[in-house]
Amino acid sequence: MIKYVAHRLVMMTGILFGVLVITFAVSHVLPSSPVEMMLGAKPTQEQIDAARVELGLDRPLYEQFFRYIANAATGDFGVSLRTNQPVASDMLERLGATFELVTLGMILAVLIGTPLGVLSAVRQDTAADHGTRTIAIAGVALPPFFTGMLLQLLFYGTLGWLPLQGRIDSEILLDYSFETVTGLYLIDTLLAGQWQAFVSALLHIALPVLTLAVFSLAVVTRISRNMMVEVLSEDYIRTARAYGLPRRAIHYRYALRATLIPLLTVIGLTYGYMLGSSVIVEFVFDWPGLGGYIVGAIISNDFPAVMGVTLFFATTYLLVNLIVDLLYFAVDPRLRMA
Amino acid sequence: MRLASILLMSSLAPRGVLSGRRWAGPVTFGEVFAMKMLKKLILGVSLLCAAVAVVAAPAAQAKSNTVTYAMYGDIKEWDPSAAFSLEVMMLVNVYEPLLWYNPPGSAEPFTPALATSWSTSDDGKVWTFKLRKGVTFHDGEPFNAAAAKASIERTMKMKKGAWYIWASVDAIEAPDEETLVIKTKTAQPIDLIASSQYGAYMVSPKAAEKGGEWFNQGNAAGTGPYSVRQWKKGQQVVLEKNADYWGGWTDKNFDRVILKVVLENATQVQMLKSGEADFISLVPADSMASLAKNEKLTVGLIPSWKNSQFLINVQKAPTNNKKFRQALAHLWDYEGVTKNVYAGAAVPARGVIPATMWGHNSNLKAPSFDLEKAKQLIAESGVKQADRKVTMAYIGTSEEYKNSALLFQQNAKKAGVTVELLPGPWGTIWDKAKNLSTAPNLQSMTWWPTYPTPSDWLIGLFRTEKKALFNLSHYANPDFDKLVNAAVDLEGSDRDEAIRKYHQAQQMLIDDAAAIFYADIKVRVARQASIGGLEINPAYAAVFFHRIHRK
Repeated sequence: MIKYVAHRLVMMTGILFGVLVITFAVSHVLPSSPVEMMLGAKPTQEQIDAARVELGLDRPLYEQFFRYIANAATGDFGVSLRTNQPVASDMLERLGATFELVTLGMILAVLIGTPLGVLSAVRQDTAADHGTRTIAIAGVALPPFFTGMLLQLLFYGTLGWLPLQGRIDSEILLDYSFETVTGLYLIDTLLAGQWQAFVSALLHIALPVLTLAVFSLAVVTRISRNMMVEVLSEDYIRTARAYGLPRRAIHYRYALRATLIPLLTVIGLTYGYMLGSSVIVEFVFDWPGLGGYIVGAIISNDFPAVMGVTLFFATTYLLVNLIVDLLYFAVDPRLRMA
Repeated sequence: MRLASILLMSSLAPRGVLSGRRWAGPVTFGEVFAMKMLKKLILGVSLLCAAVAVVAAPAAQAKSNTVTYAMYGDIKEWDPSAAFSLEVMMLVNVYEPLLWYNPPGSAEPFTPALATSWSTSDDGKVWTFKLRKGVTFHDGEPFNAAAAKASIERTMKMKKGAWYIWASVDAIEAPDEETLVIKTKTAQPIDLIASSQYGAYMVSPKAAEKGGEWFNQGNAAGTGPYSVRQWKKGQQVVLEKNADYWGGWTDKNFDRVILKVVLENATQVQMLKSGEADFISLVPADSMASLAKNEKLTVGLIPSWKNSQFLINVQKAPTNNKKFRQALAHLWDYEGVTKNVYAGAAVPARGVIPATMWGHNSNLKAPSFDLEKAKQLIAESGVKQADRKVTMAYIGTSEEYKNSALLFQQNAKKAGVTVELLPGPWGTIWDKAKNLSTAPNLQSMTWWPTYPTPSDWLIGLFRTEKKALFNLSHYANPDFDKLVNAAVDLEGSDRDEAIRKYHQAQQMLIDDAAAIFYADIKVRVARQASIGGLEINPAYAAVFFHRIHRK
């Protein structure tokens, strides 16, 4: 087990190194100058030369690369050219927002998607099944920025029920103070006992979470449906039926349990998937997380920020996968025996 | 990829395999489980919504003395000595320069800010400013001549942002508390420089000591009507009334200004429609008509000091031929571009100085769209038929550049000139254009002045440069250089003579066809109609919140 984890961690390092090489190459080999982003629109030649030295762009490429790796290893990703702040502190500040959004999105997608999938499986080829699957396909077919804007138009423009953008009401952010403990506003506001602020945060997160959930709902629903259908058709279920075991026992003790492992995979994958979609959702809703940050960074050729966030996303994705794989050990007795 | 294959498998395999032996029981556990989960979920969400609705009802509504501005990017550089991108909205409200430049058409060119009166020596090299008494910075430090001297010297020393506006300053003296003397190496318009929208703000000496890092945590210490109350990165900047402001306060003034970061233009439009934002910074062209119909809103096009041109490389064949360049200037459809491509958000330019800037001359002889004239000039130029090919570089993400270039390509074709379009990101095309070997024949360029002077265009874009920076025409004309240098020296002492020289210099550029000067840009603006007291001033891309009110 320990050997397995160690092996995976070594592999992860290799993959991350590859990610670094690719992002570095893409951001440095392309013949584009990042200095005008750093200096504003009308720099002097003197300022440009100074900036090139400051960024190390006057050095050979390999030297720039090794310097970057050495700094990155100590958690120093350089200073963002766009925000003028250290990339590491920018990321840290925005991490909570993305984590809050993606985690809630996933929970919502699983909470709705799994029961829908199960319902669809046991009611296979009925109206309920077709309906569920239609909704699922529609969800995955709609790009998140479109869903997001539709939801904005409906819930803000027409109904006026929910806020349009941002993470919390401007005035509340100003007048209600709450400590940043976890970086998750929903938890921080509760810890500070600021009920109004909590409500504002909840109202603000509703639409972005819904957008993310709708997009991933399809995956969760379809996969849990298919897993359930597959399990229900297994020989051992037929055998159990032949033995005359009660249906409830068959479903509860055997079928649903057997779908747990694939479901875990789905959750893991969906999390990574959502991290990807969150980039667009955050942009649409001005959610101050990593997604909106990386969009701005890409547009403005802010390569220290692009590299930092890419590395972070890659690490998270790999870690989630590792955790999911480790959870297999916990839920699958066969693996524990082996 | 992995996900895609799972999706594919799951959507194809089971149906075919399983449809023959599916289990259609009556009510199964799975179904009960699923239904229960769904019911619980729906119940939970409804309860939560109800609870939220009850609590949210009296939630904080925007106060009437708060004004909200939706800006499309966050503040990048908080240090007023280094700021040079989107910060002007914060700067003009938190800091003050010595003078404000008045909008074109005003009776007086300047409004006194931290200087109350000023004078210059006959040779235009010594400027004496009398400073306002009894002004304090937000951190309680007094504003005096020593503070003003330290502010300017700090900007010059840091060499960041727009520091170069002070490059000609030789010495700054503070003979007493209220007198500031600025001596320059050559005659310079220090009154104009001191009213620059970047690089000319007075900052508390105590704050300056704390350095750039302190500023970049969202701190500020100016003398302006508002102080910075809060900065939440990527979310908002909140400015709060500075009760001690020397300009005083009335009941009508806004006590609080929220600068909200809103990245998407569609989102900004919705916020404006709902009244959540009083001003927006991104007004999409296709929203103008629908916003104009809304009685609660005011929309419009206001002149700016931004203008666009295609610089023509005068050293690279075939555009090193003057007649050929002149022909290109006749192949541009000036009216068509501003009317159709810019949808009215621009007017045809006459010369390189925008119409609302001093130094502009509407009587300059400028080329018009004339195919026959162009054909004639091409024939006279002696450029061989096979060589009548030019390259044209522009910022690829700009629809305006792209469509203007396409139109030009079509017109040029009619005159037998082939135009190769080279769109790209600014960083890339700029780097290429600096080098003669990689430079295109035509290069897009949008320009605006750092402080209100025509010399910004004439020097920045066309004065001879040893190593090209923004003179991407690679224009090198000693007569032009002499004329412009002389004009700059006269700006402070004899502005009328300076203007005459600027007119000559502009005509020279047109005659040499150093660029296709095609558009003075207008800015689309939209705001709540209830906002009163707004003054349009192209010298500052900002709203002076202390001067406006809600009707």
